[in-house]
Amino acid sequence: MMSDQQIIEGCARHERKAQKVLYEKYSRLLMGVCMRYASNKAEAEDILQDSFLKIFFRIKDFTGTGSFVGWMRKVVVNTAITHYHLNLKYRYHVDIEEYVSAETGSAGFDEDFYTSDELFMVMSELPKGYKMIFNLYAVEGYKHKEIAEMMGIDTNTSKSQYSRAKTVIRDKLDKLRRLRTSYPC
Amino acid sequence: MLRFVYKNFKELKAKKEDRILRELFRQKLEYAEIIPDPSVSSKLMQKLAVREFLRFNPLRFNVYYLGGIIAAGIATLLLFSDSKESQGRKVPSQPYEIINQIPLKQEIENVKVSPDTVIENKRSVEKGKVAIRSRNASAGSKEAVDAKARVPESGTGEKYALTPGAVNNSLSVKELFPKQSEDNFKLREIGVQDEQLFETSVTEGCAPLKVAFRNNLSGYDSCLWTFGDGGSSAKNDPEWIFDLEGEYRVVLKIFGREGLVSVSSLVISVFPRPSAHFEIPSEKVSIPDEEVRFQNYSVSAVKYLWSFGDGSTSDQFEPVHRYEKYGNYNVALKVYSDKGCTDSLVVSNAFSGSAYYIEFPNAFIPNTGGPSGGVYSSTSDETAWVFHPSYSGVSAYHLKIFSKLGVLIFETNDINVGWDGYFKGQLSNPGVYIWKVRGNFSNGEPFTKMGDLTLLKN
Repeated sequence: MMSDQQIIEGCARHERKAQKVLYEKYSRLLMGVCMRYASNKAEAEDILQDSFLKIFFRIKDFTGTGSFVGWMRKVVVNTAITHYHLNLKYRYHVDIEEYVSAETGSAGFDEDFYTSDELFMVMSELPKGYKMIFNLYAVEGYKHKEIAEMMGIDTNTSKSQYSRAKTVIRDKLDKLRRLRTSYPC
Repeated sequence: MLRFVYKNFKELKAKKEDRILRELFRQKLEYAEIIPDPSVSSKLMQKLAVREFLRFNPLRFNVYYLGGIIAAGIATLLLFSDSKESQGRKVPSQPYEIINQIPLKQEIENVKVSPDTVIENKRSVEKGKVAIRSRNASAGSKEAVDAKARVPESGTGEKYALTPGAVNNSLSVKELFPKQSEDNFKLREIGVQDEQLFETSVTEGCAPLKVAFRNNLSGYDSCLWTFGDGGSSAKNDPEWIFDLEGEYRVVLKIFGREGLVSVSSLVISVFPRPSAHFEIPSEKVSIPDEEVRFQNYSVSAVKYLWSFGDGSTSDQFEPVHRYEKYGNYNVALKVYSDKGCTDSLVVSNAFSGSAYYIEFPNAFIPNTGGPSGGVYSSTSDETAWVFHPSYSGVSAYHLKIFSKLGVLIFETNDINVGWDGYFKGQLSNPGVYIWKVRGNFSNGEPFTKMGDLTLLKN
């Protein structure tokens, strides 16, 4: 088994074997990232491919400071944003659903209550724009200012979209919980 | 004071909840793994192989080696054919033939053929033959694109496809063809082209760009246009649409009775088109009570022009607009790129169904357990035991429900109270009932609606 350091050096020399090992080791994790940004699996796989090509050819840009996984994640996120912008034009959507802002329920979101799959579903149902912002802010942990720069939007836009996405997600989680408590499996 | 404390408390609570939500998602999803399709791996490796092939690397067989081999092959072929011709053999009748082209489009892109090409002109007086050779000067490879053409002995009207901006970077032909004696060649230095053989309707514009070409010459046998994007035409005055942005070199080749007579070229610049995109953020914006904040997601634009549909406009990036009156407006955004290309997006009836509406269902199932009084809340009544509207922005309200015989069985002025299906403590019979509602929206517009509803049996 090769260490990360060996893999990076191998990839910098464009060694086929190192590239394969890198893919085997991290493709599942990065696919998880792609899936959160894409609307379907095919798009996620496109993003994954592009990201890996970028990683292989720009691995020299990785300075060695900070985590390697973090750097790859960043490449994937940037690729996803590029894809989002490319497809934006054809994705104009009008929300038909009316979201009645629910009273903020006192019961917190107990982490063991929801599975990753459920959270994934809830998030994938968000409108595309909300999903990008929510992902970047809540899951990836970027600041609104950084998001604004990456997406080419205003900081306030990022904030308002995030709060809107939050409302929608909270509603959906509440609904899920109600469903769960009334029909315990 | 109490209010202030309460507000603070609420804020704190919201912050805490926000953090909990974030942590929940981060914990569950940040390191979530999904197994990609196995085909992705093989596709990726294929793409990688192509990219590696095109990358310069002295240790591996790649496009540069391939180019070298082809160049060597062409050189040999050319030498061979030249020596045969000088022995007086009849040359095939085909007037213009391209001996060899660079094999793949992809490879050409990668090699980045520079404009520093030199055209050599070799004339052997007794045969009247002209060879045009161009050679990539900067890539340092042995690539050569050779075109051979025969021209009439008189040699009139010889013009060559010249590269505007080509510099006096002349290459000795001897490098390529060391066996040829210098006397056989006359190097001709290339300057900016002096005469344009055709005219175009435009030379630059926004994608997709339609260009009409007009051939200024007449009295030739045939002509061939190549448009630089892979397309070509043999028409006299063709029209061509360039779909994508870029710089396209359009070349016109004119053939006389004896072969290639003249070549002329021109560059058409096609600019990218910006893309207009915006959203109206809130699902429920109450116009005219609230102002509307538009969110602009346009790409590669420098100037914006909004039209809000009520006659007013704005050139701000993300304008905030207050409408005077409720209505359905068509909001339009037109964006301009730095080259003056435009794109626009119109959202028709942008605020339809947004703030003021009232809708009734056409059936419900009353609770057989007894009258409930008809109080409902929009979130709790998922069982539909109470007949009530879905609404927004209603200020005054009066609902009446009649039986088929015209007996008034339910009446209310409170929109928060619906009909529970009971009349004088008795569950009404299943069947069709008539409802009628009147009232005012909070923007002052009155409404009157009526319809039927079916009472279903549980």
